[in-house]
Amino acid sequence: MSKRKLKEGAGLTALNLFFILLCFITLIPILYALSVSLNAQNSLLSSDFSFIPKDFTLDNYKEVLFGENITVWFRNTIFLAVVTVFLSLLIAVPAAYCFSRRRFPGRKLILKCLVLLNSFPAILSMFAIYRLLRPMGLINRQSGLILVYTGTMAVFSLWNTKGYFDTIPTEIEEAARIDGASDIQVVTKIVLPLAKPSIITTALQVLIYVWNEYIYATTFMTGEDQYTLAAGLNSLQATEMTGSWPVFAAAAITVSIPVLIIFFLCQRYMTSGLTAGGVKG
Amino acid sequence: MKNRKRDTLVSYAWSAPSLLLIGLMVVFPILYTGYISLTNMNVYHWFDFTIVGLENYFRALFVFDSGFLSALLATIAWTVVNMVLQLVIAFVLANLLNIKKLRFRKLYKTILMFPWAMPGYVGILLWKTGMFNTQFGLLNQWMEKLGHEAVRWLSSDVSAFICCTVVNLWLALPFMIMIMDGALQSIDRSYYESARLDGAGAIAQARYITIPAMKPIIAPAVIITVFTTFKQFDVVYLLTQQAGAKTGSGFHTILTYAYENAFITNNYGYSSAISIIIFILLILFSAKFQLKEDNA
Amino acid sequence: MKRFLSILLCICLTLTLVGCGSQGVDSKNANKLVIWHDKEDAVIDALQAYLTAAVPDLEIVFEKKTSLTDSLKLVGNDPSAAPDLFIFAHDKIGVFAEMGILAPIESLLEENALADYLPMTLDAATYKDTLYQLPLYFETLLFMYNRRYMQDEEVPATTDELLEYMQNNTGRGRYGFVEQHSTAYYSAAWIHGFGGSIIDENGVPFPDAQAVKDALNYHAQFVALMPGETEYNTVNTLFLEGKADATIGGPWMVPSARAAEIDLGIAPMPTVDATGKPLAPYSGVQGIHVLKFAAEQKTEAVKKLLAALTAPEIGIDLALASGCAPANALCYDDERVANDELVQAMRATAEIAIPMPNIPEMDVMWTVVGNLLTDVNLSGKGIDESFDAALAQANQLIDAMK
Repeated sequence: MSKRKLKEGAGLTALNLFFILLCFITLIPILYALSVSLNAQNSLLSSDFSFIPKDFTLDNYKEVLFGENITVWFRNTIFLAVVTVFLSLLIAVPAAYCFSRRRFPGRKLILKCLVLLNSFPAILSMFAIYRLLRPMGLINRQSGLILVYTGTMAVFSLWNTKGYFDTIPTEIEEAARIDGASDIQVVTKIVLPLAKPSIITTALQVLIYVWNEYIYATTFMTGEDQYTLAAGLNSLQATEMTGSWPVFAAAAITVSIPVLIIFFLCQRYMTSGLTAGGVKG
Repeated sequence: MKNRKRDTLVSYAWSAPSLLLIGLMVVFPILYTGYISLTNMNVYHWFDFTIVGLENYFRALFVFDSGFLSALLATIAWTVVNMVLQLVIAFVLANLLNIKKLRFRKLYKTILMFPWAMPGYVGILLWKTGMFNTQFGLLNQWMEKLGHEAVRWLSSDVSAFICCTVVNLWLALPFMIMIMDGALQSIDRSYYESARLDGAGAIAQARYITIPAMKPIIAPAVIITVFTTFKQFDVVYLLTQQAGAKTGSGFHTILTYAYENAFITNNYGYSSAISIIIFILLILFSAKFQLKEDNA
Repeated sequence: MKRFLSILLCICLTLTLVGCGSQGVDSKNANKLVIWHDKEDAVIDALQAYLTAAVPDLEIVFEKKTSLTDSLKLVGNDPSAAPDLFIFAHDKIGVFAEMGILAPIESLLEENALADYLPMTLDAATYKDTLYQLPLYFETLLFMYNRRYMQDEEVPATTDELLEYMQNNTGRGRYGFVEQHSTAYYSAAWIHGFGGSIIDENGVPFPDAQAVKDALNYHAQFVALMPGETEYNTVNTLFLEGKADATIGGPWMVPSARAAEIDLGIAPMPTVDATGKPLAPYSGVQGIHVLKFAAEQKTEAVKKLLAALTAPEIGIDLALASGCAPANALCYDDERVANDELVQAMRATAEIAIPMPNIPEMDVMWTVVGNLLTDVNLSGKGIDESFDAALAQANQLIDAMK
């Protein structure tokens, strides 16, 4: 018994070491940015680089947090992200449930088409979307961006939630229906809790898309006070003549932290009710 | 009969908001691009463009020369290599992360998500200047410390391909790990217990339980990632082909190739025609791919 | 379920309505002018301060736009989304003029307002005999050196001398001279030095093929002594870290060189021994452009603004604020401007510099020449073979524009 434990312990240590190494490798470029951002010299490049900055300073972070419009950008991004995630789920869940549970003419065709349509190289979509938003008066408005973001992510949201719904056994739902539950009750009380991991992955993906998107944001919005974080970050480095690398690196890291915190907090909810509920398929 | 009609109607009503938005933001741009591809909209006819029929398509055929063909082949190789690596690595890591006794799993997962939490172009820029740069990049600083010559990582076709793949994996793996991790949560643990009682090893468990159970859940995300990989632009363009910072590699995907040989002309009619042709190519490929899937 | 649906529909509707309800009120105010730009803060602050004092009855709003040219292509002539004017380099004039969104500005200026402007800047701002831009200041590349490593008397007067200096001072991680050797904007100086050009005013690429090939051939010796990287950051950092003795760079490098405490010297461009011509860099003229609808609807306001911007004072302000070389020659009479080494060096280079071509065809040449240089300098392909490929690509792309 104790021998087995010992072996298990050794395996676990090896596993932990493996992951520590992996995390380090993943982080190398980011540690690089971190070191640049904490260094007082204005250079992204240096011929004698070390991960520990030689001339330690927090000035770049100070400038990011207090000098730039970052609080405004942050507020814009949060607003856009929250509304887009909410809307995406709101429209994706009922549609995904229909496509998963109901059979109706056109269902298969639509599903197949959606994924194909989504593969269209979007470089030229900008112009069409402008033509669309312009008459609606949505240029230079956050509602316009929300519409674009929700629409762009709609195929993914629909497909991803539908794929998970397919794996939830229908028996539980039928049982609930016999007990007199309505459609909405079935979805909100039974399906959604069971599909939590997929809902969260979908929400996270939408969130990160909004968080990191800057092309639509810079093209459709004018004025620095309208920018999102990604757009603002892009404007910080866009002009190579004026760009300050340490500030840019500090901003890049600052922008990523909230997403990581959200991700960390979400993990608790990533486990499905399926394993806990003990449903046998 | 009446009931069925009503049912269909209800289904569509529930899906309407989603389908409507997709129609607006995904379908409409394609149709619009199709329409523009039939016109002569370019710098000289920006507002007063007229329909010129299929002229742009005939002209587009010139772009589809040997350069385009090799870009197409490179794109296919790129998609296959990236997808295989991505799936295998993500599968292994997601499974390892789910080993019960791993205590710092949440921390590991969060750190592994970092590349994903940054805007893509920032990550690519960090790799390009921080890692691959011939003069200052970390890779060459390490090479020097080990007593080797400095290497121009991005200058030849093959090494540029490898470097782009590394960066693409770095960017794309977090998402794949998360999707697989989510899918793993849905598998009933009791299956494994009974399998273990039957004496099945780790590989057998993965093969007969994990993979079949995960497949339907991750399929949508995987298919979408295949297309994103196929039409990858940023990684290849920003690392090797950016105007003013080219590295000398000849590795092009069809999109970077089309960009350099059509999109920069400001001729929207012509560029639209090329987009539509690439789109049709993509559909043909996926149709073939799907046929094979059905047979298997 | 119905309730759920109706909620959804309501949300979609409100989203649309919110957007529709509050748009396009701006255009009514005839004294408000919106100006897009992508310049650094020092330039805009100087402009804003000057204009507030010079034309107090106008409301001037500067908006920084990162993807300025792409956005202009989208919004074009749409008064509710486009700015009234924009500040940009002159090289996109052809594109925007052909698109039909630029107003000719001669009729908006007072008579003789341009009499004192440097001819080079007016050439740059003219497309098909029409003036589309009021030049504010210009930029050219300059030969810069670090006095710590290159003494004033060592500064090469000719390219052969430069090559000799590089041979003697390159190695062990140090470079005698660095530049963005495979980037079209920088290499144009070499092509011009050999009497060639990238495109002529009729849109013919590489009018003198032999000159281009000679330049490539000669330049290759220099490239061999430079790093295998053509990108801005590498070259910039090598010079700023004191790893390179000299470089060719723009005025935008000067503030960072001063910050890095480099004893910066600025010298005339070396002369090509084979032709006797100096390396002649491109110049970029930054100026203000008027959109067509603004010229029609807000004529008076635009006229006032342009009149204020033709005064030499603003040129002096800009030169002092951020080392710009003013387009108005009168500015150089100011003592403080006359004493600025950097501004004077650019003023001198303006005599030989060639304005970037502003015809639409030039847009694709940046890529073509970039490919040609990369093929020759970084991929090691033959000059003739690469040139033929580049010429074919140029013709195909120019043809594809129409």
